[in-house]
Amino acid sequence: MTQRRHLLQAASALGASALLPGFAHAQSGAKKFQGVTLNVSTFSAAYPKLLQQYLPEFEALTGAKVNYDAPSFPVYNQRADLELSTKGSAYDVVNVTFIYSSRWINSGWLTPLDDFIRNPNLTPADWDVNDFLPGARAPETGRDGKLYGIPWTAEALLSASSRFDLVQQAGLAYPETTDDLVKVLRAVNKKERVAGFVSDSHYGWTFVPYLHAFGGDVFRKAPDDLYPTLDTPEAIAAAEYYASLLREFGPDGAITYTPDQVTQALKLGRVNFTDAGQLHLAQLGDAATSKTIKTLKFGQVPKGPAGRFPGTAVHGLGIPVGSKNKEAAWAFIQWALSKQTTRKAVLAGYGSPARRSDIDSQEFRAKQVINGNDLAQLALDSIEQASRTGHMKYRTVSVYPQVDQQLNKAIALIASGQASAKQALQQAQAQSITELKRAGQSL
Amino acid sequence: MSTTLILHPGTGWEAARRRAFLWGLLPSLAVLLAITLVPAAALLVASFTLLSLTDAAGTFRFDDPLVNYRHLLEDERFLRSIATQLKLSASSVALQLAVGLALALLLNGRSKLLGATRTAFLIPMVLPPIVVALIWKILYTPDVSPVHRALEAVGLPVRSLIANPDTALWAISLADTWQWFPFTMLMVLAALQMVPDEPLEAASLDGANRWQLFRYIVFPHIRPVLVVCGLFRLIDSFKAFPLIYVLTDGGPGTVTEVTNYYGFIQAFNFSYWGYASAIAMVILAGVFALSWLVGRLGWNDHDKR
Amino acid sequence: MTSANPTFSPPISTHLPPPAPRTRAEPAGEPPLSGTRRAGWLRRHARGLAAVALLLVVMFPFLWLVQLAFKPGAEIFEDSLLFVPTLEGFRSLLQGNFLKSFWNSLAVSTLSTGLSLLIGVPAAYALTRWQFKWRRHVALWILVTRMAPPIAFTIPFFLAYRWLGLQDTILGLAIVYLTFNLAIVIWLMQTFFEAVPTALEEAAYIDGCGVWQAFWRITLPLAAPGLAATAVLCFIFAWNDFFYALILTRTNAITAPVAIVNFLQYEGWEWTKIAASGTLVMFPVVIFTVLVRTYLVRGLTAGGVKD
Repeated sequence: MTQRRHLLQAASALGASALLPGFAHAQSGAKKFQGVTLNVSTFSAAYPKLLQQYLPEFEALTGAKVNYDAPSFPVYNQRADLELSTKGSAYDVVNVTFIYSSRWINSGWLTPLDDFIRNPNLTPADWDVNDFLPGARAPETGRDGKLYGIPWTAEALLSASSRFDLVQQAGLAYPETTDDLVKVLRAVNKKERVAGFVSDSHYGWTFVPYLHAFGGDVFRKAPDDLYPTLDTPEAIAAAEYYASLLREFGPDGAITYTPDQVTQALKLGRVNFTDAGQLHLAQLGDAATSKTIKTLKFGQVPKGPAGRFPGTAVHGLGIPVGSKNKEAAWAFIQWALSKQTTRKAVLAGYGSPARRSDIDSQEFRAKQVINGNDLAQLALDSIEQASRTGHMKYRTVSVYPQVDQQLNKAIALIASGQASAKQALQQAQAQSITELKRAGQSL
Repeated sequence: MSTTLILHPGTGWEAARRRAFLWGLLPSLAVLLAITLVPAAALLVASFTLLSLTDAAGTFRFDDPLVNYRHLLEDERFLRSIATQLKLSASSVALQLAVGLALALLLNGRSKLLGATRTAFLIPMVLPPIVVALIWKILYTPDVSPVHRALEAVGLPVRSLIANPDTALWAISLADTWQWFPFTMLMVLAALQMVPDEPLEAASLDGANRWQLFRYIVFPHIRPVLVVCGLFRLIDSFKAFPLIYVLTDGGPGTVTEVTNYYGFIQAFNFSYWGYASAIAMVILAGVFALSWLVGRLGWNDHDKR
Repeated sequence: MTSANPTFSPPISTHLPPPAPRTRAEPAGEPPLSGTRRAGWLRRHARGLAAVALLLVVMFPFLWLVQLAFKPGAEIFEDSLLFVPTLEGFRSLLQGNFLKSFWNSLAVSTLSTGLSLLIGVPAAYALTRWQFKWRRHVALWILVTRMAPPIAFTIPFFLAYRWLGLQDTILGLAIVYLTFNLAIVIWLMQTFFEAVPTALEEAAYIDGCGVWQAFWRITLPLAAPGLAATAVLCFIFAWNDFFYALILTRTNAITAPVAIVNFLQYEGWEWTKIAASGTLVMFPVVIFTVLVRTYLVRGLTAGGVKD
């Protein structure tokens, strides 16, 4: 693996330097950003991890030194939010997290990127910003129409089963509806010491599809009417359902599972079902580390009484407004999301690219067929559906992060038996209203 | 014999000495003022506003100075955090006192072995708190914990303590006790040294057994130390952070969210600086009151002798 | 906890006074003449044995972490206690930011200690020799600053540093650490200076020395052990800090305790890396503690207990 990596790096350094005109003239003498230290921070996920492996290529090309920081999702968001809010210069490149994108962009904490893209000295002509899915660029665009982030992932929440053989043994099919899911889980829970269901504790992401499926929603009518609707009867029913999944069929400590733990649990075959983005699910197809690769099956999130509403998410790379190395930062973003780099990632098994050219490519489609399941098609279908129904509007709201955290706590409370669904959601509702008011939102 | 000099006002040389001392003292006073009183004042000022960095200029207003404090009274999560804090502090201080006292009594001997073990027992207290948190994170994670696996091997599988709302706070209390019992142990050991020999000799010659010796002679002597120790640990317990940050993140739910942690979340998750300042002021007030109490008791202890 | 002796008083220690006559009540008495030799030996050493047994139980969590640092990664989830120790965990620390954070910790702790001593020692001396009416109030102030929850200081400091440009710098952290270290220095050094007899200084004054000359030539050398102990305590407190570093550093001045937290969140929960980094970070502190164990109580009860 390391050898291959070194070869890839060497080859790509040679190849890329020929293809990137911006650096061609710098090859002769001093490198363009010699002596510059770039601080890049994003949360730990598949694409950033791949980028970390490719960093030497960038450093060789530009002479810049990259400090790469990738903490967990909640820690990253908290640190980035803090740093951005003070317009600090500690980071040059940050991840524009999907639930925070509206908050960060519309508060003026990020740098508009249009000028960098249009500048031929900084961006080669064939870099093609329009190659990125319009649906992926939309959340990265501010109210002023300018682009503030370049997306590196467009993912959808999908359902996965690591031990589908157990489901088949019980004579059942892949669950389609929420009722089916419970039936299947009851049949397979604890068989061969495999717990039934787990999901990552970011319930503001993993629970909302179920909230929608039962007919509830986060706000009354985002983005215009932001009055939270967390304690409606539909929401309560959804929360009860979801929390009972965790309580009855979850492994020990289910409510503390991080996305990586979930992926690990499925790879090792300790837990059967989960809902996760293909960002994580694609890793289950890694033959080297996945013990359950032969018994995997994927599907869409279950349909509820009100329909099927898969969650979608877009993350992008952006430049904080306080950064002191904006050109170098743009060089990094431009390299990290160039066609060459994204294609390399896709070839390495990366599951949720944001470039149309990658999504349509043969290599991507081939790699994403895992154990006979076409993960890419499932994801695309979900993303199509989301853009049609518009049910993801709730998270483009700048005050969503606060509500997101209330949802996290509420589901944790219900699943651990500390409160009934009604109590927990009423509490979440009341606190969300307080927080929205505190954030200056008029309700 | 006094270790201070009696200064005669007016004498040229004495005045020069006083000036010299003042010069020695001033840098410290200036620095302490700058880094403690000024920030405290800034904190107080901020607590009267709804300062939030999404709109710094707009929210730095004093229209309603007590708005944050009013919110605090209505904020259930804050009130619960105080209850949680008290629960955690009470349980861990009580445990620390008990364990520290017991160990001090056991190790109060003169062999080299006991001396070495006394030094070894200091380790938990001086470890960086984050390392303590990591140690207990490993012990409380069923997948890798030797304790969990041993229990499972003998047929008594135990579910994760930190993911269970009923046991999460106790789990933290236990880790906190492990970290800080050496403090009590040390202070009690030092106090045990001061217990005069004569009453002990006399009583044991009269036939008193060890328990009676302890109860009627030793304990009264060390009781003031135990009180001061307990208060010290109580105040320090308000600062509890790394354990909660690493082990439970305030959860499950908010069952291990203490006031300090709640303040941290308010300040650093969404930059509600004004509100967080108000929370910090409340904690400071509590710390101040308790410190004053400690100061009184500590000083009184000295005066009695 | 005060010494009755007005002259040079021994520090509070974990060492005990010279052996007292054997009539003191303690379990290690002579075995009754009729007891078996083994029972006698057990009874005599019961305390020691109990102490060692308890030590092993109590130290178990700590020892587990250290042994985990040497375990090969693949065997983390295995149950066996025997394994071939490897330095892989430590080697993996060399990549990434950890070494840098270790040096940062060293730099910040040293700088903080130096600053605290520089500013605090003269103040301590002045407070000792100068009849100071408000001593009790100063003591309370010191106690409060040491006991205040870090959150009370981080909010104002964070905003101030942002404006001053001290955010994420070693100097910035060292200044923040003064909030607790300066108080420690003043408090501890006072007790050490008190123990130095004024007669020697007065002799120097007669010879024509100024106040600070006498201090430098006479008092300080005599209080040198105390100074060393104080310095080490300051170092330990600065080294161990987590909260201030978490909030006030990002990438430049990140210290070791904060860097460790980063490992917690990588994929697969790299336990060997966590254990190795934890072992490294605690190492200096444990060594230093053994050196200053005699002064630990004084350091930790600063401001609260008159000693």
